[in-house]
Amino acid sequence: MTGSSAVARLDVRADACPMTWVKTRVALGRLAAGDRLEVLLSPGEAAESVPRSAAEDGHRVVALDDLGPREGVRLVLEKRDGGGAAWP
Amino acid sequence: MSLSGKTALVVGAGGLGGPALLTLAAAGVGRLLVADADAVDTTNLARQPLFGEADVGARKAAAAVARLAAVFPASAAQARDVRVTAENVLALAAEADVVVDGTDNFAAKFLLSDASLRARKPLVHGGVLRTTFQILTINPLGLGGCLRCLFEAPPPEGAVPACADAGVLGAAAAAAGALMGAEAIRLLDGERGAYEGRLLTYETRSARGRLVLVRKRPHCPGCSPEALAAAPAPAAPAPHEVVAGRPGGGP
Amino acid sequence: MALTEEQVARFSRQLLVPGFGEAAQERLLAARVRVVGADGPATPALVALVQAGVGRIWVDDEGYVAPADRQGWLYPPGAVGSSRAARASEALSDFSRHSVVEAYPAGGVPDAALIFAGSAAQGIAMGEVARKGGIPHVVVEPDAEGGAIVSIPVGAPCFSCARSVSGVGRPPVPGIAGLSALAAAELLHILVQPAGMAGRRIDVVRGVPTTHPTVRLPGCACGQPVVPPSRDEGA
Repeated sequence: MTGSSAVARLDVRADACPMTWVKTRVALGRLAAGDRLEVLLSPGEAAESVPRSAAEDGHRVVALDDLGPREGVRLVLEKRDGGGAAWP
Repeated sequence: MSLSGKTALVVGAGGLGGPALLTLAAAGVGRLLVADADAVDTTNLARQPLFGEADVGARKAAAAVARLAAVFPASAAQARDVRVTAENVLALAAEADVVVDGTDNFAAKFLLSDASLRARKPLVHGGVLRTTFQILTINPLGLGGCLRCLFEAPPPEGAVPACADAGVLGAAAAAAGALMGAEAIRLLDGERGAYEGRLLTYETRSARGRLVLVRKRPHCPGCSPEALAAAPAPAAPAPHEVVAGRPGGGP
Repeated sequence: MALTEEQVARFSRQLLVPGFGEAAQERLLAARVRVVGADGPATPALVALVQAGVGRIWVDDEGYVAPADRQGWLYPPGAVGSSRAARASEALSDFSRHSVVEAYPAGGVPDAALIFAGSAAQGIAMGEVARKGGIPHVVVEPDAEGGAIVSIPVGAPCFSCARSVSGVGRPPVPGIAGLSALAAAELLHILVQPAGMAGRRIDVVRGVPTTHPTVRLPGCACGQPVVPPSRDEGA
């Protein structure tokens, strides 16, 4: 795996939209710029809208991997400075 | 006739409908029909003033009616625990003197706009997103445009709402719902609506408000004479107009 | 201290609003707001502040619930004649376990004040108290179903500079809830981003808000820097 060795992890496969994004946004808020967050999402609505919301907030989508119908989707985000906390 | 002899239909008892209902009840509107098909969720409590902690899990329409009855016993509040659809909307609107749109999706909003024109009842349309709200009054007897005059086309096909669109500042929703309630009171009093033919948009952080004229668009599929003649009942929303609701969701 | 899972769920929609993330929510939960006035017009704002998660709300009102106060959102018929501060605190506790609502004074200095002026004189007097205390404040002047909101972040032109000079407003009517909720929104924005707002006045007439920046009248004492009392002194 490339990048920093310590990656924050979040599993929101049991959550429904928009809690999936709320928890992701809160987790990102707790990181420093450049840190990575790995988010496990259920396939479907969350897997589409969470990466999009993260990108809109200014974060970088590093990876979006399909782990199969049972495991879901793994999204890796890199926090960008000012993302999500500041006014657009 | 004073307000005590009037009936208001409020569709949605959440962030917009709740403040509207409280304002209408406080003004002494005699009968309040509360249409909501959801249950109270924890995520509602930061912005829906009809519900407290003890109401989580309860049916929204019933809980709304209970709270309204407790604080304003002079207003007879009635629950309509139904989702408003093309099949039932005309019957619901027929019972009321004014309709207030407290819904959270555009399919419902277009439906209410179409239905109010056909039922010939004034509608106070409203919406809130993050820190911005908008209000428009659609008066079937007036000169202003309807929702389809304002939005020439429905949301684009395949537009899935972004999770981030669920963000709402409760105080902004409360302001919008209360202003919508005040507008409904004006209409019930026989006054001209403040938002008839003009859309108010207001953003709370900048405190910037704007009024946009909404004229009747020629050949509007919602309100033109030929559209009303061709379709006396509102149609079910087209598939691409349906914006999926979210569990526990709402303004 | 981070938000608990329950708080994240409770404030989830608010947490998605730009400027209202976790840090802002923690500011709100730690905030102490003095609300002057718990009459009918103040009640929608009180509800909005509690629902937004303001942690401590001190209700400053020595009056009793009058029939006219029933145009607000909190007082059932049986409340008429009882203490407004007590009834408001009781009713608001239904809305959130995250807020403590009690009668003012409750020990400690508020971080901000929301003032529902029953009269011009009261607005001026309470505004001065807040200004000299070095705290941001929002003053509301009802007029039938509309009226004015004057937002006074620290250092901004004071209420006297900004207030309506055209006379006393008409008695409030139920539509005033809109003005009340807008005032709550003003206060919330100041609490989460204190340096983010310049002084301004919002006039609501027939449901339409118009906003102007406030301007200091030449020579007003509000132009002098204030040395506020320390946070631990009683107020």
